[in-house]
Amino acid sequence: MIQSVRRASAILRELGSGHRLGVTELAERLGLAKATVYGLVRSLEADALVERDLETGKYRLGPALLQLGNAFLDGHELRARSLLWADSLAGRTSEAVRVGVPSGLNVLIVHHVFRPDNSVQILEVGAAIPWHASALGKAIAASRDDETLGMLLDGPLAKLTGRTLVDPRLLRRALVAIRRTGIAVEDQEAVIGEAEISAAIFDHDGHPVGAIGVAGPVERLLPQGSASGDVVGAVKEAARGLTRDLGGVRRFAGHR
Amino acid sequence: MPGERVEHKDRLLDGSFVVRWTREAARAIHDQRDYLTQLDAAIGDADHGLNMDRGFAAAFGKVEGDGDRPPGELLETVGTTLVLSVGGAAGPLYGSALRQMGRGIDAATFDAEGLLVALRAALEEIQRLGAAQLGDKTMVDALSPAIEAFERGLRSGRGLAAAAGKARAAAEEGMRATIPMQARKGRASYLGQRSVGHQDPGATSTALLLGALERASEDEA
Repeated sequence: MIQSVRRASAILRELGSGHRLGVTELAERLGLAKATVYGLVRSLEADALVERDLETGKYRLGPALLQLGNAFLDGHELRARSLLWADSLAGRTSEAVRVGVPSGLNVLIVHHVFRPDNSVQILEVGAAIPWHASALGKAIAASRDDETLGMLLDGPLAKLTGRTLVDPRLLRRALVAIRRTGIAVEDQEAVIGEAEISAAIFDHDGHPVGAIGVAGPVERLLPQGSASGDVVGAVKEAARGLTRDLGGVRRFAGHR
Repeated sequence: MPGERVEHKDRLLDGSFVVRWTREAARAIHDQRDYLTQLDAAIGDADHGLNMDRGFAAAFGKVEGDGDRPPGELLETVGTTLVLSVGGAAGPLYGSALRQMGRGIDAATFDAEGLLVALRAALEEIQRLGAAQLGDKTMVDALSPAIEAFERGLRSGRGLAAAAGKARAAAEEGMRATIPMQARKGRASYLGQRSVGHQDPGATSTALLLGALERASEDEA
């Protein structure tokens, strides 16, 4: 590992908190000498990875990061392929659509289409949701290999609401059912009042590379406690279509 | 102290107290609707003010003029109306909490100690549903210190209105204390460190409800 790269990365993450920080504050937070931090921020500033606020002299994240973030999203094959499918799924179901990919113990939202009703919504691209509290995460986990699944179930499994499943045995049982039906449902396990219905997307080896799902108010998505056949059908169709576009194959149920 | 009304320690509360609380809550939420929405726009869906306003207006409509009904039943009516008419997390959380308060009050009247027990039941229900702890940047950060202050106020023997005033002040302090916190519950938690620096809308509406409780305690009209 190259120490200065790690230190520069630590500076970016500190500024990623949204705080504007001066060299002294950064040096204190990172336990480094001020001169060291000064050299690092000046180098980052030269590439617009951080910028200095002219009034306060404090540093914040720089515009080059937005370009890098966009490049990350643009270069993401699943996201690129999901744009049309996500729009069409949102149109068919009149609900918000999210596409997520596995990222350690989280599912990273790489695409989000707002519920098409002109209401104010917050863009969740970039959000990292604990896998076990998310229909996207559970849909992906249900088709992972035993080793990865074991790592996921080892956690930590945080309780985000009173309904979050945090018992590995219960989760494993839920995943077996998801694998059988091809559909994962989340009922207020991440946010009270919110639900999500999703299905996994597979690559050519049959590995799950992500998931697509509709997310929205629980009373709309799970009236009387369960998902409507129409929505389930639309989600499955989008996931199958995306799998096909990626040249992938869904591992058939009961494969393992 | 001269001029200060000393309440009878065992002052009894009935259905009209619940109606007054609901009325004051509906007013306060309506007055602060845009402020709540503005807070929510920073870290949520920008619907908290609108949702709460709609819900409390509906709830007051359901209990207005019904002060002779049993207080427990009225609280359950208010709670059920909120569950049905407030979207997002706030409806289920506040609605279930008020229903739980109502379930614990089965007589025609209750006293300040009974209100303390009911408030504790509300907090317990919110924590059961939301799994939130102190410091997670939620309504718990306003409600929990408010209940402690209410209890201290009652123990100091100054009566219900004074205790409710202490509760309101503690809730406001708890609400302001959410500003530097990073959200660990709810949609705001997806934002990670971006939620730092914003006051939690749920803690803010909780402080408004405790302000309404204080006014309901003072006002016999």
